[in-house]
Amino acid sequence: MEEKMKLQPEDFQALEVTTELDAEKIAAPSLTFTQDAWRRLKKNKGAVISLFIVLIMIVLSFGSTPFVNRDTLVKSQPQYANLPSKIPGVNINGLNGKAEVGGVWVDKYAQAGVPKDKYFIFGTDYLGRSLGQRILYGTKISLIVALVATFFDLTIGVTYGIVSGWKGGRTDNVMQRIIEVISSVPSLVIVVLMLVVFKPGIGSIILAIAISSWTTMARMIRAETLQLKSQEYVLAARTLGESPTKIAWKHLVPNLSSIIIIQTMYTIPNAIFFEAFLSFIGIGISAPETSLGVLLNEGQKNFQFLPYQMWYPAIVLCVLMISFNLLGDGLRDAFDPKTRR
Amino acid sequence: MKLAKLAKASAVVAISAVFLTACGSKSSNSSADKQVLNWSINAELPTMDPSKATDTVSFNQLNNSMEGLYRLGKNSKILPGIAKKTEVSDDGLTYTFTLRENAKWSNGDKVTAKDFVYSWQRTVDPATGSQYAYLFDGIANANDIMEGKKQPSELGIKADGDYKLVVTLDKQIPYFKLLMGFPVFFPQNESAVKEYGSKYGTASKYMVYNGPFKLSGWTGSNLSWSLVKNSSYWDKKNVKLDTINFKVNKQDSTAYNLYQSGKIDATVLGAEQARNLKGQTGYTNREQASTFYLQLNQTKSEFQNLKIRQAISKAIDRSQFVKQVLAGASTPAKGFVSSGLATYNGTDFTTASYVKSAVNYDTKEAKKLFEEGLKEIGKDSIEFTILSDDTDKGKKSTEFLQSALTEAFGSDKIKVSASNVPFKTRLSRTTEGNFDVVLSGWGADFADPISFLDLMTSDNSQNAGKWKNEEYDKLIEASKTTDANDEAKRWNDLVEAEKILMNDQGIIPVYQASEAWMVKPSVKNIIFNSAGVNYNFKETYISGN
Amino acid sequence: MKKYLLKRVFYMALTLFLVATITFFLMKLMPGTPYSNQEKMSPEQIAIMNQQYGLDKPIWMQYLLYMGGMLHGDLGTSFQFSNQPVSYLISSRIGASAQLGIQAMIFGIFFGIIFGSIAAINRNTWVDTSVTVLSIIGKSVPNFVLAVLLQYYIALKLGWFPIADWDGFAYTILPTIALGVGPLAETSRFMRTGMVDVLNSDYIELAKAKGLSKFQIVYHHALRNSLIPLVTLIGPYTVALMTGSMVIENIFSIPGIGEQFVKSILTNDYPTIMGVTMLYSAGLVAVILLTDIIYGIIDPRIRLAGNGD
Repeated sequence: MEEKMKLQPEDFQALEVTTELDAEKIAAPSLTFTQDAWRRLKKNKGAVISLFIVLIMIVLSFGSTPFVNRDTLVKSQPQYANLPSKIPGVNINGLNGKAEVGGVWVDKYAQAGVPKDKYFIFGTDYLGRSLGQRILYGTKISLIVALVATFFDLTIGVTYGIVSGWKGGRTDNVMQRIIEVISSVPSLVIVVLMLVVFKPGIGSIILAIAISSWTTMARMIRAETLQLKSQEYVLAARTLGESPTKIAWKHLVPNLSSIIIIQTMYTIPNAIFFEAFLSFIGIGISAPETSLGVLLNEGQKNFQFLPYQMWYPAIVLCVLMISFNLLGDGLRDAFDPKTRR
Repeated sequence: MKLAKLAKASAVVAISAVFLTACGSKSSNSSADKQVLNWSINAELPTMDPSKATDTVSFNQLNNSMEGLYRLGKNSKILPGIAKKTEVSDDGLTYTFTLRENAKWSNGDKVTAKDFVYSWQRTVDPATGSQYAYLFDGIANANDIMEGKKQPSELGIKADGDYKLVVTLDKQIPYFKLLMGFPVFFPQNESAVKEYGSKYGTASKYMVYNGPFKLSGWTGSNLSWSLVKNSSYWDKKNVKLDTINFKVNKQDSTAYNLYQSGKIDATVLGAEQARNLKGQTGYTNREQASTFYLQLNQTKSEFQNLKIRQAISKAIDRSQFVKQVLAGASTPAKGFVSSGLATYNGTDFTTASYVKSAVNYDTKEAKKLFEEGLKEIGKDSIEFTILSDDTDKGKKSTEFLQSALTEAFGSDKIKVSASNVPFKTRLSRTTEGNFDVVLSGWGADFADPISFLDLMTSDNSQNAGKWKNEEYDKLIEASKTTDANDEAKRWNDLVEAEKILMNDQGIIPVYQASEAWMVKPSVKNIIFNSAGVNYNFKETYISGN
Repeated sequence: MKKYLLKRVFYMALTLFLVATITFFLMKLMPGTPYSNQEKMSPEQIAIMNQQYGLDKPIWMQYLLYMGGMLHGDLGTSFQFSNQPVSYLISSRIGASAQLGIQAMIFGIFFGIIFGSIAAINRNTWVDTSVTVLSIIGKSVPNFVLAVLLQYYIALKLGWFPIADWDGFAYTILPTIALGVGPLAETSRFMRTGMVDVLNSDYIELAKAKGLSKFQIVYHHALRNSLIPLVTLIGPYTVALMTGSMVIENIFSIPGIGEQFVKSILTNDYPTIMGVTMLYSAGLVAVILLTDIIYGIIDPRIRLAGNGD
């Protein structure tokens, strides 16, 4: 036996270094969690387009503030009332300043004596105010409402959820009962009650949203915090005497970020819908300010005669809602690959 | 016992009527011989109790299903109702009505003088909580009873047998007969009120009727009901419609969709719809007897100056105001008294008393007057706040006035701020005199100019601006006393009074509210009055297309 | 189980008590009076009327009276409809709302399940994509816009259904669709996800291996198991239908609670506002409890007695 295995020192030769770790190599560059999510999001065409639409809307509506604001909204030119769309260079009936009156297409701009070079791309309302400007302003209001709702979700919702989950025991129990009370009144009813007590306007809507919008976020954060609490790294941090605030900030929030982002994306369309709904039933934003809901309500009354006055704000509102919904779906898939199919 | 049986029987009739009308409404297009009117309104019917009604829907249903001493016809003309003969004493303080003997309640009881006595006493009784009891002011002891100082039985109304009614007044009421067409003065069947108790007037079956129609299918909170011809009405041969179906549609667009599809014959229009439908067949403008006007607080030196008051009035472009603030569904005011309210010898009160210079728009003249006025009071500029409601309309109104005045006189001469408060706050601040300028509204309850002009007498609590004019007070006083029984003189007094008010710019009228309707041309003979109860369908009929 | 139920019911009662209290005091903050003709009434008369409505009493007393009445089912008297008890207003109008809500829920869930399943079975085909697109649109179009469009195009222009009113089944179809599209979109998205999950699981592979037909697999295994999580959606749907009904009933002139609620807000009818708010809350709390119980029964993995979450 021994004779068969005669190993000489020269039998042992070093392999070339280059071939050494080939099988273990990670081909792709190393990515952080956010980078990975971004990569996945970029693959989702719908989400990317939505993101662009949302960004464009934000830029347009906020960027227009110097040109479209309270002062310009008040100004009216009754002589240009109820003009249809007129887009430079387009000659399709309905978009060229003509409207159907008793079966004949009539040039409304000529009738109203509008100068040749004046265009209202989205037409005008009953006081001759540019509908386009009003839609821009309305979109801004919707986005502000969305931002505010997000803000309360992030501040009240997240903090409440973390505290409730982290403290546990009696504190948790009481905090959960409070949430139960708030969420057992339909949130729109809360909003309506708030608006009845305080006078309608953007301030009251914001206050009402502050009260009612954050409960879902708080619940989800609490459930997740309960799980994270028993993770080793959190235990380690606790044993080492780290302060709870620091733990929350350093360990919990980063790990909760995907839930936070996803939930936010569902809060936004809900908030936009809220505002539109309230304005539609007549207790939302009041004149001279306007919002998409107000425009829809005004347009709805006129739908039989001047359908464009409802269609344009409706389309803008729907595009906004669709974009946020698609973006929300995209982000959920990106941040939570397990649910992706 | 007997009554209970009768009530049951009438309930059965009412219920079967519901079924009949339900069938009737479905086949209304095919059966041409049936006269059916389908009417759309935008609010529910809150009550059928004549003592408690406060809104136009209730008043309209009451006016068509009940009847008082008189029924108001076209231009508030007084037509016979339950009273067939009226005697007025020489001093105008005692009215003796002889009632017709063939008037019946829908439960079979006869309509007697006692029903009037009972009804009136019930209304002025503070325990009933009638919000329209103030109309009894002037009837003997009414005010004391309302304040709880006297018993309801002491009211100046007595039944002399079953068919004679004697009413005594504290002071002359020249428009007394007009009031009798208003539902709070209608009779009420005591046995029905007692039997139904707190349910009285809360559903069509908890009510008895003595008018041209009977209400049916109203559960107290639903959105559709009908008025069906009352076979026990004394003048039923002149009632032409078999059924009027009422449908509540709160969205104007829904109502107009229904109108277009032929499901309803008449509907009120929203401002936007009115603008688009103006001039089409069926478009009807119904002026309301309510005027919106500015009161200037005359305890402030700048508003004691006539030229400044006139300047402010002339700086307001009323037709633009109507267009911008009200989206076109109202008319610029011609004076304090609303137009279409009262006529004499075929002339409308507003035409007779029109003072053009008090309501026209003339910025040049306004500016001149304003500067002269400033010199007279020795000031370089004035500053004030306009008080109004915090509603959408209130805000738009103050905004408009603010910009109109600033534009007319320049921001260095005038500084106008706006204060928009809830309705209740506005009222209390107005009555306390805690305001500079306030935008108020007033609606007339009966078709007589006095229902407006009374407000501006020196001691009236509604005269919050404290405008005083002795001559005006004298004319109003004369219209109530010396000239009360002389129609021509009284008319003249009131016309002169309005002219004084306008020439002295005691108030600044802004606009008169009105409603736009689409009514099918086939619906004929609808009687509409701008004050008090709006609709009388007694002789309405449908013919042609 | 019994103990758990008792505990839940106790919390329900506590919740409703708090809601009632908060609403009561909110209403007291509201501006305006119940008198529509206040301008023309004398101060004495207003005082007498206040006395009749009990508004002259101190607030704590009004509160105790209100709460006491509520225990007996007395929600006070409406200001808008004279002498009409709020409980009567609610009971006479709840039928239409309940019918509409239930129909919309059934419509939404039923078609949602069908669309969702079809999408899941035909995953990653054009069928799947179109269902997804439709459900995103369904989620994004506000129901009041949809209602106006349906009324104008389907009812007025095409004349297929009545425009408005509440007088038989035909009248319920358009409002049901307008109200049910939201739940439909949500259900179909939810269903698709759940079904895909189930179709990927081992027991479906086993069923396939046993040679069951596609229909048998979907019907007997996949559908049943993916239906379970749907129960959790009933609560949120109830909320959506309650609020949605406020405008839908308004647009289609339906004598329901939602429409009544909006009207009572606009006319300062506090007793009705409070009554309807209580009704909504009680309804929602009950639905949540019911779905929790149902969920516990059909899915034994969830232990009821566990965390009350």
